[in-house]
Amino acid sequence: MGNNTRSHKAEKVIERMGTKLNRQMVTSLAGCVHCGMCVNSCHYVLANPGDPTYAPVYKADQIRKIFKRHYDWTGSVFPWWVKSKSLFTDEELEELKDIVFGKCTNCRRCSINCPMGVDYATFNRMARGLLVSVGVMPEGVAVVSKDQWEIGNQMGVLKEDYLETLEWMEEELQSEFDDPEIKIPIDKKNCDIVYSINPREVKYDPRTIADAAKIFHFAGEDWTMPSEGWDMTNFGLFSGDDELGGSVARRLFEKTEELGGKKLVISECGHGYRSTRCEGQNWGGVEIPFEMESSVNTMLRYIKEDRIKVDKRRNTELVTFHDSCNNARSCGLYEEPRELLNLVCSNFQEMYPNRAENYCCTGGGGAMSMSEYTNRRLKSAKIKAEQLKATGASIVITSCHNCVDGLTDLIRHYKLDMQVTQLVNLVSNALVVEEKVKVPGIEIPVTVEDEEFKGRKILVIDDEPDFITYISTLLEDNGATVIKAYDGEEAIELARKEKPDLMTLDISMPGKSGVEVFDYFRTDRDLKSIPICIITGKPELRKLIYERPENPPEGYIDKPITERELILNIRKIFEVGYHDEQSSEKRL
Amino acid sequence: MSELLHFTEHTLQEVALLIMAIVYTLRIRWLFSFKVGRERQASTGAADTNPQKGIIYSWAVIAMPWTMESTRTKPFFYAQFVIFHIGVTLAILLSFIIPYAPSLLSDNPLLITIIQVFIGAAFIIGCVRLIRRITNVYVRAISSPDDYFSVILLTVWFAFAFFAVPNQYQQGEVVLITYFILTAFFLIYVPFSKISHYLYYPFSRYWFGKSMGHRGVYPIRRVSKKGGVEYGK
Repeated sequence: MGNNTRSHKAEKVIERMGTKLNRQMVTSLAGCVHCGMCVNSCHYVLANPGDPTYAPVYKADQIRKIFKRHYDWTGSVFPWWVKSKSLFTDEELEELKDIVFGKCTNCRRCSINCPMGVDYATFNRMARGLLVSVGVMPEGVAVVSKDQWEIGNQMGVLKEDYLETLEWMEEELQSEFDDPEIKIPIDKKNCDIVYSINPREVKYDPRTIADAAKIFHFAGEDWTMPSEGWDMTNFGLFSGDDELGGSVARRLFEKTEELGGKKLVISECGHGYRSTRCEGQNWGGVEIPFEMESSVNTMLRYIKEDRIKVDKRRNTELVTFHDSCNNARSCGLYEEPRELLNLVCSNFQEMYPNRAENYCCTGGGGAMSMSEYTNRRLKSAKIKAEQLKATGASIVITSCHNCVDGLTDLIRHYKLDMQVTQLVNLVSNALVVEEKVKVPGIEIPVTVEDEEFKGRKILVIDDEPDFITYISTLLEDNGATVIKAYDGEEAIELARKEKPDLMTLDISMPGKSGVEVFDYFRTDRDLKSIPICIITGKPELRKLIYERPENPPEGYIDKPITERELILNIRKIFEVGYHDEQSSEKRL
Repeated sequence: MSELLHFTEHTLQEVALLIMAIVYTLRIRWLFSFKVGRERQASTGAADTNPQKGIIYSWAVIAMPWTMESTRTKPFFYAQFVIFHIGVTLAILLSFIIPYAPSLLSDNPLLITIIQVFIGAAFIIGCVRLIRRITNVYVRAISSPDDYFSVILLTVWFAFAFFAVPNQYQQGEVVLITYFILTAFFLIYVPFSKISHYLYYPFSRYWFGKSMGHRGVYPIRRVSKKGGVEYGK
């Protein structure tokens, strides 16, 4: 080794590895025989044939090398003989980051295919945790972890927004069933069930909250939702940060205990279920006085106990089921969703391979938050896309919000004619209610005010499918016709073709960035007059837009955005700052 | 029998075994110096799964190639694995049979043939494995000098074991002496090399099986395209 000076971060990673190791991990690290049997179990390998750097054993070896060099005496005495290697520089840490975050979703498929029982996913998570502890991580991981530490949920949903959404859903249900007795109880003490959810449901998919509430109501359940400590997701699972994992889990457990809840029900989310049900107590080092279960089990129980009636003829489209890795390979939750599915839907097609052998949605392990690896992720998604296509189904069901996002993204990328939904939506749709029923989902009554953008065509440009869905819904609810573009190239093509009245533009996108797209629009003869509203989660990039020689954008909003903010800004652009072609021409 | 052959068959082997036992003891002590990860949560998955079942299943997985996709889809590779390990077992047994129960071989030509068939096949597989390690892009990328040396060592050892099986020292002792020296070297080298994986195997599979059983993942259950649930039990 030419350079024996070790960076502070490298020093800490090596030192902290010793505190993370346990017997399970050590046997996994020491027991690999380099047989290569794991290679073809990984979707990254299958989608990148011939590139050994994606092989689970290769990736594992990058961590194993360090372990051997510092914690296994064969590697300390004969490093060259067993290829052990220490860490010295921050660049090496960055290389390790690329592997443990960017080339593995911790899906555990290789673990169940290893003849030696080497659980690579577990020590890959350990390596993530070590890097996070010295601040080496993808930006998205840092942002989400910060939100979960500081705000209490990983999407930065504020308490008032959460409560407002619950109130909104409650009103929708009351209106749908014309029944003011339907409630979404908040902080009710001593209930049988405390229901915890994923912040994504509040932010992008409140329909699932309403559907669950509907099911609880008609099952006659004594239930509540906590006003705080309601997020059952846990970014500690993805970041490998056990402290965060323990803290988030304790927050949820303590709130449930404070409310005197008899059972904590976890809504459909793979990593949330695993983190809360199977890992939280271990990270937090706590015992709990209540039971926990997935809402899948809850819904299944209601049907079996005849507490709700369902009619499977209401879900007749051909559906298939995708197993979340965390549910199937780390918690054994794979039969109950199928049992439930067969009760609420009449046309189910199994996917192969399935259950614990199913392939990852490719959005797991926090991959959806790491935009720097998007291209890599979508390339590896080819395997899942082929698997989905082979089913011939038009709908793919999954019990995981992360999988919803991952699958939605790959379905769009590979142009599959499929939709993704969850079991709660199907159960809700199949629910037989004696009163007048209007299903599925929540339909917001259109008022005169809601039609204010009627006749306006708006192009929404963003690489996050969830976000596009969210703001498209808001704009469409207000009468606009929305065109969606998921990257810069597509945006330019659609702008030329559709000639929208306004465009919303994200700055940070893979491929052609928002700044490049902005430049293009502002300098293109046909498109320069279209007003642009920047919507970004990276305010630090604002200057990239405003310091350009071109005309500044007509609107600018920071993410996360509220409905009110969006509508006000769009209204303002149309009414006041609306691009008056003459003034624009003058400026030019 | 020469004194040298007697020495290699007895004293050398005993010393080598003693060294191996000491190093193995140290290895296990080292392994147990690490804390045990604990699962506090109540078990998940099907009601009929539990940690005990998971452990047994995990240990047995290697003998049930249909349970893992990696072995199920590569029957030829799996057969190689089985024969190779039978060859290793027989070649080790041979180092005890020759010095301590030579009559087992001298009275039984069929046994000699059977042992030679397996050890001979293991030798061929050793060659195949070496070629695979050099030519397969994935395996080459992860191979260390220890990986190459271990395969070469075993393959050469198989070759001498093959010829040592009849135990015909009267017709020349070179093969037998070389076989016993290689066996002694093998015993001393094993704890320092990847060949020691069999020491870790029961532990790694125990803990993985315990966790997977507790979580209801083991025994693996799947539905094949042909129809019907396969429990992998």
